[in-house]
Amino acid sequence: MVTKISSLAGAAPGSLRSLTVAALLGASLAGALASSASAETLTIALSSTVNTLDPTQAQVVGTDVSVATHLYSPLVARGPDGKLYGVLAESWQPEGDSAWLFNLKPGVTFPGGEPLDAEAVKWNIDRIRNPETKSRNRSWFDPVSEVEVVSPTQVRIKTKGPYPTLPDQLSMIFFLSPEWMKTHNPATEAYGTGPYKLKQFVAGDRLILEPNDKAVLEKPTFDEVSMRVIPEASARVAGLLAGEVDLAFDLPLEDVERIKKSGRADAGWVPSSRSMVVRMNTLKAPLAGNTKLRQALNYAVDKEGMVEALLGGLGTVSQCQILTPAYFGFNQDLKPYPYDPAKAKQLIKEAGITTPLKIDLEVPLGRYFMASEIGQIVAGQLQEVGIEATIKEMDFGAWVKTYAGRDMGQMALLGQAWPTLDADGMLGLYAAANPTAYFDDKPFDEALKAGRGTTDPAKRLEAYKTATARMCEEAPVIFLFAQPFTYGTSKKGTWKARGDDWVRATDVVTK
Amino acid sequence: MSRYIIERIGEALVAVWGIVTIVFVVTRMLGDPAVLLLPLGTPEAQVAALRAELGLERPMIIQYLDFLVRAVQGDFGLSYQFFRPAMDLVLERLPATAILAGTSIVLGVIIGSLAGFVAAVRRGSILEFLAMTVALLGQATPVFWLGIMLILYFGVNLGWLPTGGWDSLASLVLPVLTLSIFVAATVSRLFRSSMLDALSEDYVRTARAKGLPPGTVYTRHAGRNALIPVVTMVAILTAELLGGSAVTETVFSWPGVGRLLLQAIENKDFPIIQAGVFLIAVIFVGTNLLIDLIYPLLDPRIRVSR
Repeated sequence: MVTKISSLAGAAPGSLRSLTVAALLGASLAGALASSASAETLTIALSSTVNTLDPTQAQVVGTDVSVATHLYSPLVARGPDGKLYGVLAESWQPEGDSAWLFNLKPGVTFPGGEPLDAEAVKWNIDRIRNPETKSRNRSWFDPVSEVEVVSPTQVRIKTKGPYPTLPDQLSMIFFLSPEWMKTHNPATEAYGTGPYKLKQFVAGDRLILEPNDKAVLEKPTFDEVSMRVIPEASARVAGLLAGEVDLAFDLPLEDVERIKKSGRADAGWVPSSRSMVVRMNTLKAPLAGNTKLRQALNYAVDKEGMVEALLGGLGTVSQCQILTPAYFGFNQDLKPYPYDPAKAKQLIKEAGITTPLKIDLEVPLGRYFMASEIGQIVAGQLQEVGIEATIKEMDFGAWVKTYAGRDMGQMALLGQAWPTLDADGMLGLYAAANPTAYFDDKPFDEALKAGRGTTDPAKRLEAYKTATARMCEEAPVIFLFAQPFTYGTSKKGTWKARGDDWVRATDVVTK
Repeated sequence: MSRYIIERIGEALVAVWGIVTIVFVVTRMLGDPAVLLLPLGTPEAQVAALRAELGLERPMIIQYLDFLVRAVQGDFGLSYQFFRPAMDLVLERLPATAILAGTSIVLGVIIGSLAGFVAAVRRGSILEFLAMTVALLGQATPVFWLGIMLILYFGVNLGWLPTGGWDSLASLVLPVLTLSIFVAATVSRLFRSSMLDALSEDYVRTARAKGLPPGTVYTRHAGRNALIPVVTMVAILTAELLGGSAVTETVFSWPGVGRLLLQAIENKDFPIIQAGVFLIAVIFVGTNLLIDLIYPLLDPRIRVSR
């Protein structure tokens, strides 16, 4: 029985997708369209199960955090345009390099009348910071030293040093009622100031939300929002085509055109904030201390070709940085390494490497988009310049154990993103102190430090320009492309497309 | 007789213990939940803190003994992802799986035995050929492919039935159809062959020689005996489906045990994996035990041969 389960688990997703392609091709799309949903109901398909309603533990933006955003209010939120706007906060500004002051909207109350004021904000943040709460989000507040209530509508968050990305991070923090918390379990119940309130929560299956009449900060736009958990991509496509689902994500790339042509629903894609890269372990031979070899690998891989062949053009080649244009700190000046196998060969020679060179390429499965295919293309192209990459495919859970344990192999494929869309977090993954950096470069670290050392946006931008340029030059990764984020909508409305995983009913505009 | 029962119960307990032990060891060798639960790049100190909180920094043998002591008390710990007792979560999903499995088994067995009976009785006829071809196809078709085909045809093209989820009786139709086709195919092939075996037995010849009408011979004499292996197969199939048809549940977004377990395996949510596997093992081993205990009642020779 045990073996049966694991073999089923292994067999399902990949084969399902390819079969669906065939199935959708074969199936005639003509026929009656039965849409039972009323115009006022919005049905959203979530790609994976909602784990908890407790915003204190919510980390995954696409599910738990997105659900929380409907039920609760944050201080600030990020709109589809990528900009922060105030929700509970009316305005906010840094005070020197060691504090942020937030001015709150007055008169906001929980459904029972308790105020959501500075006191409540402090209580919530202190609760997350308290080790006894065991909040998985506690690390976001490591740089915070104290939360101070200045007045009922003013809260000052003091920090140990400059914390320029605090407002971004606070967009993922939601406020519970201290009074309500005494007698309720936030994992399965909800009581907040968000635009919607919980009507029904069937674990593993669906969440039904209804308008929160008492919401003052953000207005509900639908009479009902139904969030259905549909883990299988082909089932999401079917739900969309059958008119049962109004908004779905992570659709197979090859289905995007087909959905559009069907006339039953719309589909599209945006570049996501996740960059696909081949990590190189720059602490391990032969990649350690060998910049020319690392650059050579970047010349050896045809990124444009990969986007064309593998993604059917739905993707954008990384501009020699792991940041996408959505991030604060994106460097306009950098250009991708062109595909130039001759130059690659020459650099390998200059690097003093005798070919063929054997090297390992770890490919974690089950997490990143088309990981297996990308791994094979990369290995094939490296072969042409004399590098024999041995592909080691492994389960994501098993791979991540070595990766996070400072024991990554010579090369590994992975996708990286940072939810605050700020260079500080994303580039920080390559700071020498980070256990998953596999990169130890003084100039890079110093530039990061400079960026973190100030809350002045202009100075920060300058620092990240230096850091990204240095990273491009030192090439601790093979820069590939931004993973495309696919979505589909019913004819009912349009979705303000965003590539940062947030799923909000407020981003849907009805026609 | 009582010794036989005690032996069989003892064997069943050992089997359940063995299964949960193997799963305990294998899951712990394959991944580190603390790393998966926190964002990649989290400082090591915090990963270590979470590992300590989950009790995973202790030697494996201590973790194992602790697990056993709690498990016999019915405590499988808190789910790492859901922050709720693991066994509660598994039991919460059991009704959905039970309804799906139960309906599929009943439907599948009725269709399958009828088809198998007809195929055996009308041996060599076009009817047998048809029934067995369909059964072979049904058994050879991957369940997920069939599921997707049904969704596309009845859900998308015709728009008659929901494509997934669980809100009404209508949403039960397609997943039940998918599973019962598989059950019916298996049952019909088995029933046919065991019916043919029975028909060639001496007692059937005797019954025929006595001049009994064919209907009586087929149902009373041959049919009854031919059912014994079918009963076993049905019991095993039931236990398997109750354990969660992971693929069917995933394709149809069915909130059952199988899907919960798949997700738990992906996330290395040890408490759920253990609670789920324990429950499946109990159902599976329990069903087998039940069959073993019923056999001597059906056929006294089984007791003698032991």
